Amino acid sequence: MTTNTAGNTAAAGGTRHEGGTGGTGGTGGTSVVLQDLKRSFGTTRALDGLSLEIAPGEFVALLGPSGCGKTTALRILAGFESADRGSVLVDGRDMSAVPAARRDMGMVFQSYSLFPNMSALDNVAFGLRMRKKAAAQRRSQATELLEMVGLADQARQFPHQLSGGQQQRVALARALAIEPRVLLLDEPLSALDAKVRVQLREQIRSLQQRLHTTTLFVTHDQEEALSMADRVGVMRDGRLEQVAAPSELYAHPATAFVAEFVGTMNRIPGELEGDGRVHVLGSTLPTKGDQPEGSGGAGGSEGTGGAGGPEGASGPGRASRPGPVDVLVRPEDLRLTATSAGSGIVTIATFLGSLTRVSVLLSEDVTVQVDVPSTEAPAPGAPVEVKMTDAPVLVTERR
Amino acid sequence: MAAVAGVEAGAQAPAPATTSAARRHSFPVWRWAILLIAAVYFLIPLYSGLRFAGLKAFPDVFKQAGFISAIGLSLRLAAVTTILTLVLMVPTVVYVHLRLPQIRRLMEAITILPIVIPPIVLIVGVLKVAPGFLLSTPYLLALVYVILAMPFAYRSLDAGLRAFDLKTMVEASNSLGAGWPTTLWRVVLPNMRTAMLSATVLTVALVLGEFTMASLALWQTFPVWIVNFEQSSGAVSTAASLLSLFVTWLLLMLIVAVGSWSARKRGGAQVTLFTVAPRESSQTAGEPE
Repeated sequence: MTTNTAGNTAAAGGTRHEGGTGGTGGTGGTSVVLQDLKRSFGTTRALDGLSLEIAPGEFVALLGPSGCGKTTALRILAGFESADRGSVLVDGRDMSAVPAARRDMGMVFQSYSLFPNMSALDNVAFGLRMRKKAAAQRRSQATELLEMVGLADQARQFPHQLSGGQQQRVALARALAIEPRVLLLDEPLSALDAKVRVQLREQIRSLQQRLHTTTLFVTHDQEEALSMADRVGVMRDGRLEQVAAPSELYAHPATAFVAEFVGTMNRIPGELEGDGRVHVLGSTLPTKGDQPEGSGGAGGSEGTGGAGGPEGASGPGRASRPGPVDVLVRPEDLRLTATSAGSGIVTIATFLGSLTRVSVLLSEDVTVQVDVPSTEAPAPGAPVEVKMTDAPVLVTERR
Repeated sequence: MAAVAGVEAGAQAPAPATTSAARRHSFPVWRWAILLIAAVYFLIPLYSGLRFAGLKAFPDVFKQAGFISAIGLSLRLAAVTTILTLVLMVPTVVYVHLRLPQIRRLMEAITILPIVIPPIVLIVGVLKVAPGFLLSTPYLLALVYVILAMPFAYRSLDAGLRAFDLKTMVEASNSLGAGWPTTLWRVVLPNMRTAMLSATVLTVALVLGEFTMASLALWQTFPVWIVNFEQSSGAVSTAASLLSLFVTWLLLMLIVAVGSWSARKRGGAQVTLFTVAPRESSQTAGEPE
C-alpha cells in the first residue's frame, strides 16, 4: 500500500467514530475512507486496490493521467458506480448500500450540469427543495450562496445566458447549498479558459477553507492539484503511487512516475555503485528513498501531518541493484557554469522572468534542462559544464 | 403531407439575426426557382379543390350526418394513441440513453420497421389474430396506431434527448437528493418538452389522416367518413379534406411557434419541422399520410 503515514491514519481514524450520526453539515467535517477499491470495466481495470483516507475538512486532490481511475474513484464515492471489491466509509459508516441521492454529497461536474429549465436561483435551490425546505427559506439560502460565488445579480438568468465560468460557479453554489458532507469536484475547471480557471481555482479553495467541507477533487492538471489541495494523491493504473502534501510531493517524490509526472524532471544516465551511491555527471552522490527526509514543515494541512512520504525502496521503477541507472533531477537542482572546456552545449534558452530555463545537450541523446537566474543565462551555442548539487538523488532503472 | 419534426441541438444557439441576414444576401436565384416549382406543385391541387368545393361548402361540412361522430372518434383515437405512445416511448428512450446507449442503432432500426411494413399487411394480420373483445372496440386502432407512430415519436424523443447532457443532469439531480421519480418529473421531462410536443403533433397528424387501417377495421374515422361521404356530395367531402389539411397545418405551426418561444426563453433545444436528427444519417422522412 502506498497511501498514508501513520499520522494521517490516526487523524482520520480518530474522528471516525464521533461522526457516526452523520449529517454534520459543512462545518463539522466528515471523514472519508476508501478501502482497497477494485473496479473493472470489461477487461479494463479502472481501480486496482485503491485506498485513501481523507480527514475531516481536508481537501484532497487525485491527480493522474487520463484513464488512471481517478474519476472512477470519485464516482464510486458519489454512488454513481459501485466497486467490485473494497468499501467506502463516510464517518465510519459503510456507504455501499446507500444510493447516491441519500449520500449528501455535493458534486460539480466536468461538463456543464445546470438544469437548463431552471434559473440560476432555482438550480441552487433544487437540493433544498429536495430536502423539503420552505419556499422562502430556499430562496434566501440560495440567494446567499449565489452571493458567495459572486453571482447574486444573475439569480434570475437561465444557464444558457451565463458564461462557462459563471455556470460552474452556480454549479458550485448548488453543490454547497445542501451543506454536503463531502464536496466532490470532477475536473470542474477543465472546460474553462485559462484565466477563468485560475480565478475559479482560488475561489473554490478559499470557499473550501471557509466552510471546512471535506473535499475530493479530481484533475489531470498538476498545477490545479498542487495549488489547491492539502494533499495530492498521484494515481497510475488504478493505484495510488503517493499521497502527500504538494511541497512534499515535489521535493520527495516516492517513485519515478510521481517524480516525472509532477513538475519538470531530468533523466540523466548514471552508474549505481554497490554502496548505494550513484555516480553521475562527475559526482558521486547518496541516493534517497530508503530514508525519506522528515516531513516537517511540508504541507501543514490542519494537523493531518501532510506527509505520506515515499514508500520503501522497492517501489515501482526504483533501481536497487548496482549498474546503469537514470538519475532524476529537477532543473533547479543542477548547476551551470560557462566554460570553454564544458562538455555540454546550450541549445535553447527560454526566458521565464527571473529565471531562464536552459536546455543543454550533454551527449547525443541526453538533453537536460537547467534553471539559472536570467542575469547569468548563457546564450544558445555556448559550451557549458553541468554539475549536480550535493543533495541525495532519486534513481530509477535505465530506460 | 409530409412532416418530420425534429428537435435540433441548439445548445449554443447561433445568432439567428446575422445568420439569416447573411443567407438573404447569398440566396441564389435557382433556389427561388425550386421553391416556386414546389409551391406550384403543392398549391395547385389545393386551389383546384377549393374551386371545386366552393366556399359555401365549408359551413355545410359541420351539418352533415356522421361528421360529428367521425371527427369525435378520430380525436379520441388521437388522444389515446398519443398518451399510449408517450407513456411507452419516453421511458424507453430515456432508459436506452442512460443505460443501454450501445443499442441505440438497433433501436433506430427496430423503430423504422412500421414504415417498411405496409399498413395493409399490418392491419390484416392484426384483424386475424386480435381477440374478440378488442375487435369490438375502435381502440384496437389506437393500439395499432401506436406502432405506426413509433418511428416518428422515437426519432423526435431521441433527438430531444441528444440535445442535452442527460446522464450528467440525472447524476446532478441524484447527488442533490432527488430520487428517480423526482428526477424524471422535474429534470428530464421539462427538458424534453419540445421533443414530446413534436412527438405529439406527429402522432396526432398521423391518426387524423390514417385511412387504410380504419377502413379495413370498419370504423368510421374522419378520413373514412370523407371517402364515404364523397359518394353523396363531392363538394362537401372536398371541403372537409381541405379543412382537415388546414387544421393539421395549424397544429404543426403551433408547435413550431411554441417550440421556438420556449427555446428563446430557456435556450434549450430549437424546434424545426422537416428536420431529422442532427449529425446522424438522415433517415427517410416519413409520411404520416
